[in-house]
Parts: sequence; structure tokens; C-alpha cells
Amino acid sequence: MRLDLFNTSAFRLSVGYTLLVTLALGVTLGSTYLLTESLITDEVDLIIGSELKSLQDRFSRSGLAGVTDEINLRIDSWGRIGAVYMLADSNFERIAGNVTHWPFDGMPTEARPEFEIETIEPGRRAVHPVRAAVRTLPGGDLLLVGTDISQGRRFAEKFRMATLGGIGLSALVAALAGFWFSYRLARRVGEVASTCQRIIAGEPGRRLPVGGTNDEFDALAVSVNHVLDRLEEQAGTLRATFESTAHDLRAPLHRLRTRMDALLLRSPPLETPVRESIESALHEVDRLQRTLSTLLQIALAESGTPLAAPAAVDVGQLAAELVELFEPVAGAQGLRLDCRNDSAAVVRGNRQLLAQLLTNLIENAVKYVPSGGRIEVAVRRLGDRVRLSVSDDGPGIAAADRARAGQPFVRFGAAAKHEGSGLGLSLVAAIARLHRGRLELESNEPGLRVVVELPA
Amino acid sequence: MHVLLIEDDTEAARFLVKGLGDRGYSVDHAADGREGLTRALAGTFDLIVTDRMLPHVDGLTIIERLRGKGIGTPVLVLSALGGVDDRVKGLKAGGDDYLTKPFALAELLARIEALCRRASAPQSTRLKVEDLEFDLLARRVTRAGREVELTTREMKLLEFLMRRAGQVVTRTMLLEGVWDLHFDPQSNLIDVHISRLRQAIDGGTDQPLIHTVRGSGYVLRSDG
Repeated sequence: MRLDLFNTSAFRLSVGYTLLVTLALGVTLGSTYLLTESLITDEVDLIIGSELKSLQDRFSRSGLAGVTDEINLRIDSWGRIGAVYMLADSNFERIAGNVTHWPFDGMPTEARPEFEIETIEPGRRAVHPVRAAVRTLPGGDLLLVGTDISQGRRFAEKFRMATLGGIGLSALVAALAGFWFSYRLARRVGEVASTCQRIIAGEPGRRLPVGGTNDEFDALAVSVNHVLDRLEEQAGTLRATFESTAHDLRAPLHRLRTRMDALLLRSPPLETPVRESIESALHEVDRLQRTLSTLLQIALAESGTPLAAPAAVDVGQLAAELVELFEPVAGAQGLRLDCRNDSAAVVRGNRQLLAQLLTNLIENAVKYVPSGGRIEVAVRRLGDRVRLSVSDDGPGIAAADRARAGQPFVRFGAAAKHEGSGLGLSLVAAIARLHRGRLELESNEPGLRVVVELPA
Repeated sequence: MHVLLIEDDTEAARFLVKGLGDRGYSVDHAADGREGLTRALAGTFDLIVTDRMLPHVDGLTIIERLRGKGIGTPVLVLSALGGVDDRVKGLKAGGDDYLTKPFALAELLARIEALCRRASAPQSTRLKVEDLEFDLLARRVTRAGREVELTTREMKLLEFLMRRAGQVVTRTMLLEGVWDLHFDPQSNLIDVHISRLRQAIDGGTDQPLIHTVRGSGYVLRSDG
């Protein structure tokens, strides 16, 4: 049996697990990224803040000229790498610094405004992002201190790529692992299911495969195999018991019958009354033998012994042949017996047993339906099932009795006055079960409809 | 006709030997499988009738040994195992016919007769009994030159009877041979089919060919 992988609980579990892994990784790595980014910015802001403070101190000690000197000094010689300064008057005109013109439209509103500057480096032009702070000096001049943050940006960019890549890769690995895991699980469970189905379908000797890895599946397989061994053993014991019973009962019946036969063949012939009573005794022996055979057949079918060597049987054709066989007898009793068939109503099973099943149903109908009645045998193909039915317009069976009708020796109503063992329907039920089908009795309004559904 | 009967149930065997003897068969009786096999291999018999379950060597093994030695003598298996599978197994093992105990002596006699004659019967495509002719290829049946209308099944039934003309054919043999049904329905199905066939073949003639044999079955032959 092949399981639909996408419909297994293992698959759903792995999908859920993959989502969970992705989410957890995303939260962890995402917050690390955000934290790192804010740490970098904080450090820049700290430097800018302290430099602003030292330049403001310088202003309060030595005025505008002092600040201008300090800025020029820092630009020219020992200033830190990437530092940006500008001193401008209240009209945003440059007084000093390494920025050529005021980078904002008037006064920026943010505490730490950002802008870009172009630098001319040997051979190429480059654009650098700058994070800055602006202070208005007493007197109305403006002091701008900034830092080239392109390196931090690059670092953050790389970090972000690494984070996203890491999350993506982990999700992919988790998904692949989950897929493989659920595929393996589905395959092993599928093996168990298909083996069980084959056993039911008539291969009692099959056992679940044991991988030898001592995992939980092996433990399950070993236990199930034990159960199967026990069942097969019991079926075998039952079968042997039935067979020896059959043998032990048939042998004396056979001797009895042979003796009576020999009496009838004696010359000179027996007197008529003696011959007639022997003949009627013979008739009883035959009935007894038939009941015995039917009982044994039911017992065998119910013992769990699967059908030996099942073959394809066209039930539609079989029904047609049996209707043709029974038609003259039915006709002689004033009954109409018809057959309606679908072509290709083929089931796997035993032709003789299926013929016996149909024969019992037709015989019952012929026996109980009064003259002038109608009997219809129908075989229909319904998807993956074959439905055979024998319907009549006879006296039928009361709804309350129908459920009991398949049990051995149950006879009621009209049946009681006919000769019969009360085993006919039990055998039908047993044969149906042996073919993994079932028997149902319905009202034909009026009359009875016996339905047997078999897997095609 | 020389028949070997292998049967461990001595009482049943005694009646069978007598019954067959009354019909003109000379019967050797072996009471167990080993003796049966030795006799079967040593003697020349027209037919072997063997029980299936025997002490020492069972019936199916005897058939296997015989066939292994290239001995094709027809074998009729008697068995107290009456299941559908048992029958199939018995026939697959090389048995030519299978009869479940208990059976009527008449049934056994009819089957023995059929097996003894089968060995010599040629497979012809034109069958003829008196003025009844059946051309199997043309599917045409005539009685005294006049065409007889028959259904496919009736033709099969007639062919079965004509191939065994002069032999008693039982109802079970007809069910098996014509309808391929290996169990006994309770109704007298065959009688009605035979009477229809009889109507078609013998109706309007003063020389009936299909006769009922009391307690046994039917026979197709010219004399009454």
C-alpha cells in the first residue's frame, strides 16, 4: 500500500518543525543583528557627542577663532579617520571645515541627521554616508560634527546578509531533513500496511519486514509477526481439526451408504416396501452428508484460513450461466427468472465457491417465491466493488428477522415447512466474508432482496 | 477390465470389490498405500481407484510416483476431504477424477466406466449415434436428416452425452462436465434440462435415444 506522503502525520510534523526552526532562528539572529546595529550607531553618536562637547568648550574659552583653529588642526593633522567638521555662520555659509557647503536645507530637525558627501580619492569618486550633530554656538554660528559611517554600514550589510542566509539555509536543511524523515516513516508504515493487506488478501505466510536495526519499527514488526504466527497456527489447528472431523464423520457415513447401495443392487431384487424404505433412508444419508459438508465449509471459511489460489472470476458471466441452469426449474414452477449484468464484473476469488453462493441464493428464491412470482439476479459494477443481488417479489422476511437470517440453523416463517438445513444463507455469508465482502438482506417492497458486495 | 482398488477401510472396500465384480470388473484390493504403490507399479491395470488418505503412502503420492515413472493409467481419487481446494489439489496432482465420500455406488460405477473408455475414445469433430448426427465444427445437429434447433448449452450437453454414447452418465458428471460446477445443488436441475433436450432430439420419433437409468442418471443409446 502506498501512502500519500503529503497526507502523513510525519509530513505535517516536519513542516511544523521546519517552520518552528525558521521562526526561532529568525528571532535569535534578527535580534542579534538589531542589537549590533544599534551598538555601532551608539558608538558613533558617543564620539560625535564628545567631540561636539570639546569644540563647544574651546569656543567658550577662546571664541570663534579658537574653534576655527582647532577644526583646521584636526582636519590637517591628527584628526580621527572619517571625521567631518563644519563651522558656518547663521546664513549657513562655510567659515571652516572639510565640507564645502551646508549639507541640509536650513537647520535639521533630527538629533542625529544623516547626509552624504562626495570625496575625491585617487582615481575614483566615492559617496560616503555621514552621521552628524549640529549645535548653534552662542552668537548664532553653527557647528557641525560628523562621522563617515560607510564602514559601519558595510559591516551591518554583511551581517544582515549572513543572518538572512543563515536562516534560509537552516530552513532548507530542516525542510530536507523533514522530507526525508517523513518519506522514510511513510515508507515503513506503508510496508506494514501493505503486508497486512496482502495477508488479508490471501497470503497468510507473509510477515512484516524486520530491518535489524532494533528500532521502534522493528519492535512493532516483531510483535505483529508474533500475532500473525499465532493466528496462522490457530487457523492451521482449526483446519486440521475440521479435516479430521470430516474424515471421521464421512467414513462411517460412507460405509453405511455403501451397505445400503449393496442391498439395493442385490439379486434377486428386494421387495418393493423394503426397497422404498432403504431408498428413503439413503435420501436421509445424502441430506446428512450435505449438511455436514456445508457445515464444514462454513467452519473452514470462518476459521480465518484465507482463500487458496484466488483467480479472476467474471461474476456477471457466472450469474448468467447459473440463471440459464435454473431457468427451466423456475419456469416449471411458474416463476420468471431473469438476469441483468454489467460486463467486466470481475472479482478475485474461487469460482466454485462463488457459484455455490449464487446457487444458494437462487435456490432459496425458487423455493420460497410462490408461483407467478419474479426473481431477478443482477450483477453491477460499482466503482471498486461488485454488487450481486437476487431480488424477488415473494413473501420476504420481516425486518426484525432479517438481521438473524445469516446465522446457522435460523429458519422462520415460510422456511419452516420446506426441507432444508437452515445453513444456506450462513454459507453465503461465510463465502462472502472469505472474499472480503458482505451479505445484506433488504426489503424489495414487496419481497426480499439479498445483496452481496465483493471487492473487485 | 482390470481395476486396482487401494482402500484402507476394509469394510467399505469389501462392498466396492463386490459391486464392481457384479458389473464384470476384476478387482485387486490393496489395503494400504505402500502395498498399493507396489502393485500399481508391478501390474498392468486399466484403472486405479485410490483413497486419498492412506497409511504409509497417501493417494496423491501414489499418483505422483506413477506419473514420474511414465505410467499414465487413469486414476480415480476417493476422498473424505470434500473441500473445494481438496478437489482442485487432487486433480492437479494428476488424478483423473475425484469423488467425495460418501458416494453412491452408481456414481462410482459411471465414473469408472467413463475413465476406462476415455483412454480409447478418438476425438472426432463429427459425432454420430444411429440417425442422430452432430457436426461440431458447423454447430449443426440433425436427427434423421432433419435439422434440430438447440441452444449453445444444449449442444454442449448433447456433445457430452454423444461422446459417452452407451455409457451411463450421472447428474453430477453432467454438472461438472457441462456446467463446470463441482458441488451438488439441491434442485433437480439436470432432469429439466435433459427433458428439454429429449423433447428436441426424440420428440416426434418412435425410437428414443436418451434414456433415464433409474438411480443412476442418463444414457444415450439406440436400444431401449
